[in-house]
Amino acid sequence: MSSPAATVAQAIRKPGGLRTLDIGRYTLLIVLLLIVVVTAIGNPRFLSVNNLMNILFQVSALGIVASGQTILLIAGGLDLSVGAALSVAGLATALTIMSTGSVTLGILAGVAAGVVVGTINGMLVATNRATPFIITLGTMTFLQGVAILMSGGSPINGTGKLFDVFGLGDFLGVPWPVYAMIVSILAMFLILRFTTLGRYAFAIGGNEEAARLSGIPVRRIKIALYALSGLFVGAAGVILTGILDSGLPSMGTGYELRAIAAVVIGGTPLIGGRGTVIGTLGGVLLLGLVSNSMNLLGVGANFQSAVLGLIITAAVLLQKKT
Amino acid sequence: MQSETPLAIQVQGVTKSFLGQRALDDIHFEVARGEVHGLVGKNGAGKSTFMKILSGAQPPDSGDIIVGGQAFKALNPAEGRAAGIAIVYQNPELHLDLSVAANIFLGAEPRMALGIIDEKAMARQASELLARLGLNLPVGRRLGDLDIADRQQVAIAKAVREKAHVLLLDEPTAALNKAQAEFLFNLIRDLARQGMAIVYVSHHLDEVLAISDRITVLRNGRKVALVDGKGADKEGLIAMIVGRTLDAVEPRRLDKPRAEAFLVMDGVSSEGGLDRVSLEVAKGEIVGLTGLIGGGANALAAVIGGLDHRHVSGAMTLGGRPYAPRAVREAIARGVLFIPEDMRGRGLVMSLSIAKNISLAALRSLSKLGWLKLAKETGVATAMSEQLDLNPRAPSREVRFLSGGNQRKALLGRAIFADGQLFVLEEPTQGVDVESQRQIHDHLRHLAAKGATIVFVSTDLEELIALADRILVLRGGRIEQSLSPEGLDPQQLLAAIQTQSTRSLN
Repeated sequence: MSSPAATVAQAIRKPGGLRTLDIGRYTLLIVLLLIVVVTAIGNPRFLSVNNLMNILFQVSALGIVASGQTILLIAGGLDLSVGAALSVAGLATALTIMSTGSVTLGILAGVAAGVVVGTINGMLVATNRATPFIITLGTMTFLQGVAILMSGGSPINGTGKLFDVFGLGDFLGVPWPVYAMIVSILAMFLILRFTTLGRYAFAIGGNEEAARLSGIPVRRIKIALYALSGLFVGAAGVILTGILDSGLPSMGTGYELRAIAAVVIGGTPLIGGRGTVIGTLGGVLLLGLVSNSMNLLGVGANFQSAVLGLIITAAVLLQKKT
Repeated sequence: MQSETPLAIQVQGVTKSFLGQRALDDIHFEVARGEVHGLVGKNGAGKSTFMKILSGAQPPDSGDIIVGGQAFKALNPAEGRAAGIAIVYQNPELHLDLSVAANIFLGAEPRMALGIIDEKAMARQASELLARLGLNLPVGRRLGDLDIADRQQVAIAKAVREKAHVLLLDEPTAALNKAQAEFLFNLIRDLARQGMAIVYVSHHLDEVLAISDRITVLRNGRKVALVDGKGADKEGLIAMIVGRTLDAVEPRRLDKPRAEAFLVMDGVSSEGGLDRVSLEVAKGEIVGLTGLIGGGANALAAVIGGLDHRHVSGAMTLGGRPYAPRAVREAIARGVLFIPEDMRGRGLVMSLSIAKNISLAALRSLSKLGWLKLAKETGVATAMSEQLDLNPRAPSREVRFLSGGNQRKALLGRAIFADGQLFVLEEPTQGVDVESQRQIHDHLRHLAAKGATIVFVSTDLEELIALADRILVLRGGRIEQSLSPEGLDPQQLLAAIQTQSTRSLN
């Protein structure tokens, strides 16, 4: 293994010494590098600062949702309703701004919607024997209906200052949503590494019965984790509403699968017990890079979806080797 | 087809390394047809690796395996099976949703026209096969409805159906009671008489001595001895396994528990099967609970540990204050730590490090406002590893890389660090090598000497006698007998457990 790749992989890895060969860790980096090289050769504009910033901007909401999803997967959970919840949060924001004229209230409404939905999911998962997959599939369908009812089937346009900040604004040349994504990832990194909540997530995902026998309040922690993920989803809903300058009932469609894909590509196994949010960032960037490079290389929209699916499948299959 | 040699399987100079560490070093090994060959050694001595190589689950780095007159550099599982080697694990790998007959004939079902499975013929052939082996199993029953002993018999029957002539048995009695184990031994002897070669791996030296024609002893990946089963004795085997002579009998603790009662139970019944149990355990006392499966020893441990808290009636006090935990964490808050028998399934978080497993039950003492003190955690884990002779002494190592004995120590470390006052353990040394067993016993004695109270469930007679200050025999959810281990020998203890079962039958 060449030393630069190894060094980067080491940086991603927790300090804890070299273990067995971590092929899966390198796979993601190699795929990322390959995409960069191929696209850069095909279209030199790809590597321009402008375009790279554009990629980050485009994946910012996904990055926030995927950060929240990371801790759920680590804890052996899953939330399929995050896409629909994102739509509901975005519509709550847009509707509140439209009716009160207050951007602050709009932000609060969106974040609160995310947290409420997350908490309800958490309570359902913690107190039922059914798998999180089935439970959140149900809430997803329900929330899709709620989003259509809220919007009356058409976009809620006009978010005023929210659009000025998240849609148009930047700081030192970096758009505000990108900062929001970085803050989300950093926050999740700190939670996973340095808090009891993060540690409990690892323990529950690794062995729920052992966690219970160690006196961990497993139900309460699960509810807290889904609520936390909901907070991230709410924030992403607010930001995406700002970016689009409107709330749409379909704005979150597909986010659940891309977020879960990003987390799994990033090395967090679906069975839980381990994982990193830095890996998730890698997964998010991979998805963003692939879409962008296909746009630049002139790949048609119908092909893009198929190619993206292939890459996700391949990345996950390679990851299984770890 | 069979060559003129009476050897069923022969291994010449097999060597295997993992990441530069030699797990097996130049092993020569052979089993004759009709022989029962015992394989013993500590955890980490190389037994499991050797079994994996014999069954084809792993290739050796060098050496030859000669089976059925054919030499293999490495076997894959399919070749192993084709060459007539079958392996039966303590928890056999079978299909729980299929019938007994379907499991026995899996992959070789008798068929009718159009490839449809001939269920009748399959059931008939399965019955014939089982009858021939002297087994009485319902061929139509779903395997998941049978107990582990029966499943093991199904796995063995399957091996016979596959015409295996080498049978590898890995810790076959770990989950069996005495009667089931006796039955298994008779089956093994029968199979051997019919010419089957059997490799028998176990920690239970008495069993190995009783059943083996020859015994191979592994230590640190080397074969240190090949002894005749008839001429060997237990002390001699222990000496070869450990590498130095140990007293056959562990010394009992010299100090005495204090007089003050710590745990008091008064007429406690539970959903789990306790029937009006009254019990006083003194501070610093070590109490052993035993009995036949379902007798109530585990039910009692579950109630004390706070695991079984629904429909518990009667009164308990702990340290003089009422004690009625409604969850495990309430028991932990009172200093009662339950350590389960199934450490992989219920005890350790395999994906986490030693340090994180040790701290898991007491993270509150290692955090402030929800933020972990990681440096302090590492320090605590290092100190605990030293105190418990945990090997390797690397707190950041994931526990899944540890041997069984060290995993049990890590689990004990968690309970100690959680400030345990009363330790409730199930089978504290099951599946652990002789040396680790001694160390764990010593740690428990040491904890008791410092004032901790210990209640443990065990079916290991020697362990009960060596460790407990008092042995309680449970039957039908009640404490039937209280025995002093002083001067008690294993036969007497076993008799105490067994006589009760016959008495209740009358």
